[in-house]
Amino acid sequence: MKASWDIFCTVVDNFGDVGVTFRLARQLVAEHGMEVRLWVDDLSVFARLCPGADAQAVQQWHDGVSVCFWAKDWQPAEPADVVIEAFACHLPAAYIDAMKARNPRPLWLNLEYLSAEEWVTGCHGLPSLQSSGIQKFFFFPGFRTSTGGLLREAGLIERRQAFEQNPAAQQAFLASLGICPQADAEQGPPRLISLFAYEHAGLGSWLDCLAFDDRKTHLLVPEGRILGDLERWLGVDALKAGDLNQRNALTIQVLPFVRQEDYDRLLWCCAFNVVRGEDSFVRAQWAGRPLIWHIYEQDDDAHWAKLDAFLELYLAGLSTEAGQALTEVWRHWNAGQTMTQSWNTLEKHRAELAAHAERWCLEQALQDDLTTALVTFYRNWI
Amino acid sequence: MKTGKELKPGTVIRIDNDPWLVQKAEFTKSGRNSAIMKTKLKNLLTGYKTETVYSADDKLDDVILDRKEATLSFISGDSYTFMDTSDYTMYELNAEDIEAVLPFVEEGMTDVCEAVFFEDRLVSVELPTTIVRVVDYTEGSARGDTSGKVMKPAKLANGTELQVADFIEIGDKIEIDTREGGSYKGRAK
Repeated sequence: MKASWDIFCTVVDNFGDVGVTFRLARQLVAEHGMEVRLWVDDLSVFARLCPGADAQAVQQWHDGVSVCFWAKDWQPAEPADVVIEAFACHLPAAYIDAMKARNPRPLWLNLEYLSAEEWVTGCHGLPSLQSSGIQKFFFFPGFRTSTGGLLREAGLIERRQAFEQNPAAQQAFLASLGICPQADAEQGPPRLISLFAYEHAGLGSWLDCLAFDDRKTHLLVPEGRILGDLERWLGVDALKAGDLNQRNALTIQVLPFVRQEDYDRLLWCCAFNVVRGEDSFVRAQWAGRPLIWHIYEQDDDAHWAKLDAFLELYLAGLSTEAGQALTEVWRHWNAGQTMTQSWNTLEKHRAELAAHAERWCLEQALQDDLTTALVTFYRNWI
Repeated sequence: MKTGKELKPGTVIRIDNDPWLVQKAEFTKSGRNSAIMKTKLKNLLTGYKTETVYSADDKLDDVILDRKEATLSFISGDSYTFMDTSDYTMYELNAEDIEAVLPFVEEGMTDVCEAVFFEDRLVSVELPTTIVRVVDYTEGSARGDTSGKVMKPAKLANGTELQVADFIEIGDKIEIDTREGGSYKGRAK
């Protein structure tokens, strides 16, 4: 059954909104044979995620998805069978009227933010009775079995594992991004770490740790908000993609923004990943590597409860010492504090954390993925 | 017009022309400074009940309700009888109708409540923002703290548990803020 789907995405800030919705749209097309229109109100952000995209086009096709510009001046469009408003964005009033007039009415879903908090399980899938008489449903991604799960393409873990077994493929991929880690005669190739984070006042202390470590580190930094802190630490101006700087044992390389598949491979090549927000956070978990999550800072410090809720789930099965070390690092990073002591403590648990990250990934992969859960919800609804 | 964030027990909203009473409302912060309100609604025409979720900024048509002062007369099983203080009319509600304030409703309470009417029918009761209750049981002070920052559990006469300051003792009167589920405010003067 080929149903039509309309996904609406407002780009509030950064790349998370459009990153998640484009991933979802592509998976609906590729794995479930759905017909999908993705409505985006800022195509310039989309164009950075999807090289080759036209930031001015009213409609364009990418990987089978019809990507449409969501203009402020809304032009009438026939509603799809399933309508998703991502992250509680507001649908055009005329579109809602058209939904109400449509027979049969579409399934209207609000795809919510990812959270590990327990309350999510009590809200996932609940209806929202609107004054207009149309029913909307709240759909929550999550880590627990009674949530909508996480975005994960079919065969993703297997592809990652095959890539890990193929050093030549890894080398070729890195070379395609201009990354040529310099092997040391004694230590071999340097450790690769990726850094995709928000601004961080304590970043310098972490970079100091890496620079004065016995082991060499090659830090890979996709262009983004962290570059200002990097520039200050390096004492340089206007870092840009391709720039390479070395300080003692630390080499820092700025990368261009890469398409989603390449970002996955980048995470897979690294021994440790620093990620932020929602989309890169999930991808880093599928990479099966230890990570730091730079969570989106919220008013009233609401993000701390979300960070702690995830840690509570994630730390299960880790030794107390390793769990404490990871908690300290995450908390210090998110508070913008000095990282020296917590990072050095974490390094002692490197092997345990690596094994745990892989185990966590495989456990999470046992659940239905978010896209499948959405399709199932729709099939049950009709 | 009310937003999702403004929903609270006792609010009546109109959905597709039917009046729905909010029996319970739980506010939760979602992602990126957004929030949701999980509610328990009761259709006042059919009696049908359902759980729903709203975004904090969802717009909903509210119904203007009549409000009168009332006091609790007596409790009989799951039935709670309130009296209109202006004309002594008795009104009966069941426990589910007042689920949100139930933890602080107890026999003999003298609080002047707000009775909420929809088309001359009592649909809900709201407690004053601040009420005074007697602590029925609590452990002794563990640390001798007098600042009020160290908390410990305490039980009211009706079995409701809440956190109170460490210096509170059995028999003490405490002030409770009844909003958002109820919380300890301080020792009553």
